[in-house]
Order: sequence, then C-alpha cells, then structure tokens
Amino acid sequence: MGIFRRIFTGRFYVENTGFFLVLFYFLFGIVNGSNLLYYHLGLMTGFLSSWSFLLLVLFLWLLYTLRITGFVIKTLEQSPYSFLYSTMTCMDDKERRGLWLRLQFQMYLPVFVYGLIAAGVGIFRHYYLPAAIIILFNLLMCIWPVRFYEKKLWQPDVFFFTTRFSRWLDRHFVKPPVLYFYYELFTAFPRKIFTTKLWSAAILWLTFFLMRQSDFMDLRALQLGMIGCVLLHTQLMIHHRAFEEIYLPFMLNLPISTLRNYSRVAGFYVLLLIPEIIIIFFQSNHRFTITEIMTAGITGMTMLLLFRVLLYFPRMNAEVHLRWILLIAFVVLFMILGGALWYAVAGMQLVAALIFFRKFREYEPWIETE
Amino acid sequence: MSDPVISLHQVRKHYQDISVLDIPQLELNTGIYWLKGENGAGKTTCMKVMAGLLPFQGDITINNTVNARQHPVQFRRLINYAEAEPLYPAFLTGRDLLQLYFRTKGGEREPILELASRMGVDNFVNNPVSSYSSGMLKKLSLLLAFAGNPAIILLDEPLITIDTRTLEILYDVIRTWHQAGTSFLITSHQPLDPNELSVAGTLTIANRNITLN
Repeated sequence: MGIFRRIFTGRFYVENTGFFLVLFYFLFGIVNGSNLLYYHLGLMTGFLSSWSFLLLVLFLWLLYTLRITGFVIKTLEQSPYSFLYSTMTCMDDKERRGLWLRLQFQMYLPVFVYGLIAAGVGIFRHYYLPAAIIILFNLLMCIWPVRFYEKKLWQPDVFFFTTRFSRWLDRHFVKPPVLYFYYELFTAFPRKIFTTKLWSAAILWLTFFLMRQSDFMDLRALQLGMIGCVLLHTQLMIHHRAFEEIYLPFMLNLPISTLRNYSRVAGFYVLLLIPEIIIIFFQSNHRFTITEIMTAGITGMTMLLLFRVLLYFPRMNAEVHLRWILLIAFVVLFMILGGALWYAVAGMQLVAALIFFRKFREYEPWIETE
Repeated sequence: MSDPVISLHQVRKHYQDISVLDIPQLELNTGIYWLKGENGAGKTTCMKVMAGLLPFQGDITINNTVNARQHPVQFRRLINYAEAEPLYPAFLTGRDLLQLYFRTKGGEREPILELASRMGVDNFVNNPVSSYSSGMLKKLSLLLAFAGNPAIILLDEPLITIDTRTLEILYDVIRTWHQAGTSFLITSHQPLDPNELSVAGTLTIANRNITLN
C-alpha cells in the first residue's frame, strides 16, 4: 500500500514543510536547549491544570485535523487522482477503512505523540481527567475523519460535510447567481475564505483593542480598521475574475441587463462584508451608533466594488491591480481624515458604475505575452 | 424574398493582435445551415461572437430589427447557443441551470421538461454537474439551447459525445423546432445526415470569412 502512503502521507508532509518548520521553530527553536525539557513540561502542566488552556490546545489540534481532512478531500477532488475512486472502492470494506485509519494516523502522528507524552505527564502528576480527555480526543481525531473520507469516496459529488443536507439543498434550493462565487469558495477553496475572514476579524479586534486602550472611540479609527479588512479581501478578487472567465461565459448568452449583472457583482461584495458589520456591532458595545456602523460598512463595500470593477480592464494584472488598490486606499484614508467621507463614497460608486457599464460587455481575458 | 433571420455586417474579431474573423456581409434566411471549416478556422469563435459571448467590431442583427449592440437583452432572447465542450461551475445542478434559463430566456417550460424526460436528463437533473459524464453534460447543454423562444439556435458540434438514441431525439427536435420557425446553425466535421435534416445551405469558413454555398 506504498502508493497510498506516497499520495497522501508523503505529499502532506512535503506540501506542509513550511508549516512544520514554523511550528518546530516555535516549539523547539525559541528556547535554550538546556531549558527545552522544562519549557515543555511547564507547557504541558499549564494545559493539564487549566481547563480553558486545555480547551485552546484541543481547538488547535482540531484545526490541525481539519488541515489533514482538507488535504485528503482536495486530493480526491483532483483529476490526476480520480483513479482512487475506482481502485479504493474495489477494496474490501475492512481493509479500506484500516487503510484510511493508518493514513490518518500517519498524518496526525506529530500531534498524537505530543498528546501521548502530555497524557503521560498528566498521569504522573495526577491530572487523571485531563489526561484521559487528551487520549480520547486524540483517538477521536484519528477515527472520525475515516467516516468522512468514506462518504467522499462513495459520493464524490457531495461538497458539504453532511450528505443528506447537501442533497436536500440541491433538490429544494435553486442557487442564485449572486451566490455562485460563494459556493465556489466554500466548496473548492474553504481555507482561503476562512483564513481571510479570520484575519479580517483579527484586524477588527485589534482596532477595537487599540481604541479601548486609548479610550478613543472614533469613527475615523474604525474606518481605518475597515480599510484594513477591505485590503485583506482584495486577494479574492483575481480569483473571482478567473472564476467568471472560466465558468460563467455561458451567462453572457442569457438576456440579462447590464444593470442586473452590476447588481450581481455588487451584491457579492455587499454580502461579503456582513460578518464584519456584525463583529463591529457586537464589539462596539453601543459606543458607535447604527448609522456610524453602517457608514463604515458602506465605505468598505464601496471600496471592494470599485477594486473588483477595476479588473474589467483586461490588462489589469495582479501587480498593477495592487498598486491601484493601495493608491485609492490612501486617497480614501485622507478623505476620511479630512471629513470628506461621503464625497469619497459617492466618487467611488460613480467610478465603479461607469467602468462596469462601459467595460462589462466589452471585457475579454487578456493573455500576457512576454 | 423573406427578411434574413440573422445579418452580419462588417463583423471583425481580433484576439489581441491576431485577426480571426473578417466578414464583410452575411445574411441567412430561415433554415438549417451547416457551418463547416478546418480545425482552427474560426467556427467556434464565429458562434461565440453571434451568441454575444465575445466582443466584436461591426453589426449583427436578428430579424432585421434587433441589433446586438443596441438591444443586447432582446438580442440574447432570440439567439441560443450550445457549446461544443460545455463547462459549468461544479456545484451547480442541472436543475439550477434549467431554472436560470427559464427565468431569463422565458418561454414555455413544458416542452423543455418533456424534452429533458425524453433525453433522460431528468434522471440526473438534481445532481451537481461535477458528477456528470461528458455525454450527460452535452445533453444538458443541448437541452438548455432550446429554452425560451429563440429565432436562431447555434449548435457547436452537437453530434459528438451523445449516444445514438439521443442523436435521433436531437434530429427530431431540430425538425420540430424548425417547422415552428426556428433557424439552426450547426457546426460539424461530419456532414449532417440528409435523411434526417434538409439543409438550406452550407456555410464554409476559411480565410477569416464565411461564404454561403
């Protein structure tokens, strides 16, 4: 079964070399060699003696497991590995499940070993319950993905975790075009959207933290945080353009007005920032009015729309796009600081609409030639 | 002589610096046309230009009144297109696509649903297209090309990939739709079966131009 080990385990460690190097640096590189043992014993005692710390550690281990499952599913979805469906489904059920279990264990091994040592330390220091929880949790992290891989193997068309739900959704819900790119992100590139949202939430948390520290709850500071979130989301735009170029040309034959097409593109970016607006609402704790929160949201959505629409200039590659984004962000920032926010928003909306209505029907992908 | 169903006037198409189409004038009356040409001659590009998928220079008019530039929405209601190798987002189901076409192209749903049943598309219509074989995808794409009330339907290589039973259904539905007044422009490397379809003319694409024989 060496071929499966090479396809999954081998590729997993090779593709995640950078991740493991950073991890090993933080776990073993930042501490003096002579103190390494005491450092880890202290760390283990820390999470064995504190329930909240233990929860955080278990959450991080869960994230690592999700990284493995994401990798396995992605591999199964790649066309060069489509032969896995026809070969693995021919195997005896018991043999195949055993194989999945071994592969999952091999990829989870670094955490499993660390968890086992921590559990040993726990037993030695009489933290019996946390030690038992760690052992059970680690066993669970090796077992549950097997069921998930089996589901994917027998139902390759299913994108979501729960088969029944996704089939029910397909039967009862017609996907509106405004959600197409969300489906693409959540089904094929979940890590991309989740990390973007995680970093965006972190920026907002930092913004509120700094505002509270200085006791300076000002809309302009909030707008600065929002610009940071917008800049993070721009990484999705080149992908959005490529998705439309590859998969949506058939929609150009549909009798849809340019205004409706504009609403579809704008609608995507309006929906994109809703989680940030919710975060701001709860973080602000009534220190900002609804109008102020909406102002920050509208600024962000307007900037996102303008940045996306810039890509209807066919020669706008990622590098040129970034330059324009930074230039516009600086201009908008100074307009906000100068109290000319609504002029900035109106100007960006006008430019975005003008570019879209002028360029949408004429747009054609540009092939770079060196 | 009746008005042409589609007219092309000074139609030019460039891919960056390379000229691929230069059609001074072409007018087609109602009928079924076979568009032939060598690989890379520009058959698919020509169809994509006509269907509104690619920008171009010049004028294309349907029924002498609906211009591609001046009436882009109405124009797309009158012209349907099925690609040679259809590609849709993997998560969409056949049902999602059918509903989208019904909502935008308009027309009666019943004949299309009946055709879906004849072609066997209804068996997999609720599944995501990622699970379709190339033949199933082709059937769905052909089915969508009949949605609405088109004056002309462009079929790019419709004879490949599909099974013989579906081919018979396709010939039958082309004949029926044509009797109701719809025109067809069909590309194929193989001649269209004269026992199945009576062709009004053969279009040859060569040297970036199209000539009607």
